[in-house]
Amino acid sequence: MTAMTSAQAIAAPGGDAVLSVRHLSKSFGGLRAISDVTFDAAPNQVTAMIGPNGAGKTTVFNLVTNILSKDAGQILFQGRDLAAMPAVKIADMGLIRTFQSARVFPGMTAIENVMVGAHRLAPHSGASEMLWLPRARNEEHRMLHRAEEMLELVGLAPFRDTHATELPMGAQKLLEVVRALMAQPKLLCLDEPAAGLNDTETQELANLLRAIRTLGIPVLIVEHNMSLVMNVADHVVVIDSGAIIAEGTPAAIQKNGRVIEAYLGRENHAAP
Amino acid sequence: MLEFLQICIGGLVVGSIYAAIALGFSLVYRVTGAINLSQGGFAIIAAMIGYTLGVAWGWPLWVAIPSAVAATVAIAMALGAFTFVPALERLSNANVLMLTAGLLTMIEGFALVVWGSQPYAMPPFSGEAPLTFGPIRVPTQAFWVFAATAVCITALWLLIAKTKLGKGLRACAENPTAASLMGINVPRMMLLSFGLATLIAAIAGVTVAPTTSLQFDTGRLFTISGFVAAAIGGIASFPGAIIGGLFLGLATQLATAYISSLFSTAIALLILLAVLIWRPSGFVQARVGKRQDTRDEVKAVGHAAKLPPGLAWPFAALALLTAGLVPLVVTDNGILSGFVIAGILFMTLMGLDVLMGYAGQVSLGQAGFMAIGGYTSGYLSINYETAPVLAILAGIGVSLGCALVLSVVTLRLRGLYLALATLAFGLLVDSCAVGFLDITGGPSGLVGIPSFSVAGFEFATPRAMYYVVFALDAVILLGLTGAMRSGFGRALKAIRSDQMAAAALGINTVRYKLAAFMISVTLASLSGSMYAFFFNFLSPEMVGTGRSLELVAMLIVGGESTLLGGMFGALLLTLLPTLFQPLAIYKTFASGALLVASFLYLPQGLYGAIVQMAIRLARSPRGTVREAAASKERGSQTSARAL
Repeated sequence: MTAMTSAQAIAAPGGDAVLSVRHLSKSFGGLRAISDVTFDAAPNQVTAMIGPNGAGKTTVFNLVTNILSKDAGQILFQGRDLAAMPAVKIADMGLIRTFQSARVFPGMTAIENVMVGAHRLAPHSGASEMLWLPRARNEEHRMLHRAEEMLELVGLAPFRDTHATELPMGAQKLLEVVRALMAQPKLLCLDEPAAGLNDTETQELANLLRAIRTLGIPVLIVEHNMSLVMNVADHVVVIDSGAIIAEGTPAAIQKNGRVIEAYLGRENHAAP
Repeated sequence: MLEFLQICIGGLVVGSIYAAIALGFSLVYRVTGAINLSQGGFAIIAAMIGYTLGVAWGWPLWVAIPSAVAATVAIAMALGAFTFVPALERLSNANVLMLTAGLLTMIEGFALVVWGSQPYAMPPFSGEAPLTFGPIRVPTQAFWVFAATAVCITALWLLIAKTKLGKGLRACAENPTAASLMGINVPRMMLLSFGLATLIAAIAGVTVAPTTSLQFDTGRLFTISGFVAAAIGGIASFPGAIIGGLFLGLATQLATAYISSLFSTAIALLILLAVLIWRPSGFVQARVGKRQDTRDEVKAVGHAAKLPPGLAWPFAALALLTAGLVPLVVTDNGILSGFVIAGILFMTLMGLDVLMGYAGQVSLGQAGFMAIGGYTSGYLSINYETAPVLAILAGIGVSLGCALVLSVVTLRLRGLYLALATLAFGLLVDSCAVGFLDITGGPSGLVGIPSFSVAGFEFATPRAMYYVVFALDAVILLGLTGAMRSGFGRALKAIRSDQMAAAALGINTVRYKLAAFMISVTLASLSGSMYAFFFNFLSPEMVGTGRSLELVAMLIVGGESTLLGGMFGALLLTLLPTLFQPLAIYKTFASGALLVASFLYLPQGLYGAIVQMAIRLARSPRGTVREAAASKERGSQTSARAL
């Protein structure tokens, strides 16, 4: 209990946070999945949320992007309350998320997948698109060029015309991340991007995340893979059984007794 | 009061049949997750075979009827093993539904070839004399119907609840993957469910046959009523199917008796639309319901055929040249008319492709908008001498108005419910076209529609009309190609493959689906008007539900999400019957068979086949690397059915 209060004390409402989550709660039936979760994602930083299986990480994520509706609490993105906003609107504001199981668009090639990401930014004029006017054509070329750069960034350029679902899992995950990047997010939310990746692919992902940070795009990442998180995160939030148990720099988290207990001392708990 | 009771008994007889068919829908849906529209067709096949054996060949009824049922089930099992079961492994559930619509068309076509289009009357099993209960007279056949339905329900319940086989069927319903890991032969269970549904339909068909007149396409009515009943009751629930069937039977009979026979279907369909709005999963919620939304997320999406950029321009030039030369080469007015009809239908097909091929929204009622457009402009130009161009615009306006109302229902629905709602809409338009005698001329059609004209210049000959249609097609194709290759088309494709991921990238799925729908409605309405102006006549069956199903067949046979593919389908299915007049009777059968075959063996349609051929011809002198890539691509198209 003391650790939790101290965690809350650290997360005093920060005015300059990109995303601030305040006293978030959610129950499924009688089960309290998330209770009183409060944290911030600061600009120009990679904020990571970690925790054992079933801790509620993805639930927090789905609450932030309004795919689930929260029972209580407040979510502010760039100072605006996201309550009752549809997922489209949230994405339109620049909060772009990826999914745990890579959700590339089947039936579309790698390059097309990435180009869909730019949807939010493109000035849509039906008439000029239908008539294929120079304006629409230029826009299309510019977008194509950017999408090609994105594929190059993750080494997928040789596969630009491959159907996305035919790529290996790791490549699909990277593709999903660059598709989200293509939308020029104000906050990039990655839901377990390393799940299902092998060591080499995880390394590539780590490089990509560092590159994203140097671009100045804030990232909120939910992750299982400790070494990846310790490698790339600036700030780590640890969640267990739906509540925050610790918060701090990666180095501090690695020494935190409660975190070690949550991850290693499971035999003391009843089996889930 | 007496009359009311009499009508209710009639309603229960009809309702029993609907209930039996609905039971088959539920069974197949629960075991396979797909909807099987072919059952009504099999019901008619059973009744027709029963007629041939019992009346034409003079077999005693107690031999003829069971033989007819057995023969029908045998045919169905063979057909199911080669079409339905393989389709379940390869196609998304929405495409399986359309494949079974193809099966239904094929069965109707078969019945047309064998038994012709005249109606048949089957004698009652135990004589014409009705039983009298005081003042109420009940035909003896009603008892046969009730008894047969009750036996079917009881037997099915015993099979599902009490036997090991039933346990296997239920396991497939809950989780096919786990069932197959437990050693259950899932494809065999799926075939069994298909066979059982046919058995129920066949029994229903033969017992109801004496109470109604049989025609090759009566099966469509059975299928649709059964489907509507299943949807009203709750598609995944057996008690729901029975309640839905009896309710629908009573409602339609009472409506026929007290309102008008012309609007009895309209009332059933309005009930359905109301249920879909307020309670999309039906009256009775199944305890182990399959959730359409989650199953639809990971559907298999095929890859559309695409010409390599280097070949696109030469091909476009060649196509334009060929199309321009057609009227100079083809001198026969009948064949040229075939080209014009194909061109007019191609307008609807391009819209349908935007809706189905790109946005992934199933529509089985597209001809309904052709009807609204055609009748509006026909009526205006006959009665008010409105100029055709203005009449067309008015037709589009009315169609868009109806589409907006319909979209209140459809935008909330996906997959099979969407298919159902569009089908219901098409049938509603059908029955209005027949019912509103003053406007549409009723079943005999609207006569005296003038030819298409612009500023006093009349396009009365097929040749003149050919150029008008050709120009319209070219303009529409060009515009849609531009839109589909840019952000608009990509957004639609993204929605088709994964709605949630599309929304997470800021794509407003509702707005885009609505836009695709409105484009398709505009084009269908325009095409319906041109159709009316070309024929100078419009009748309900020219733009009815049969036409809607044919349009889907044309699109799939030609090749989905290619825009151009529809033209190949339209040309094939319009010109073949024109060129080979004696074979015209096989048209219905062929369009159904082609649809089924395309789904199974030519997933990219004719257009895809042509593109593959073009790629091969262009590359063959320069080595085999590209070809290897192309064949690899083809191999991967058969993506496994997502579970």
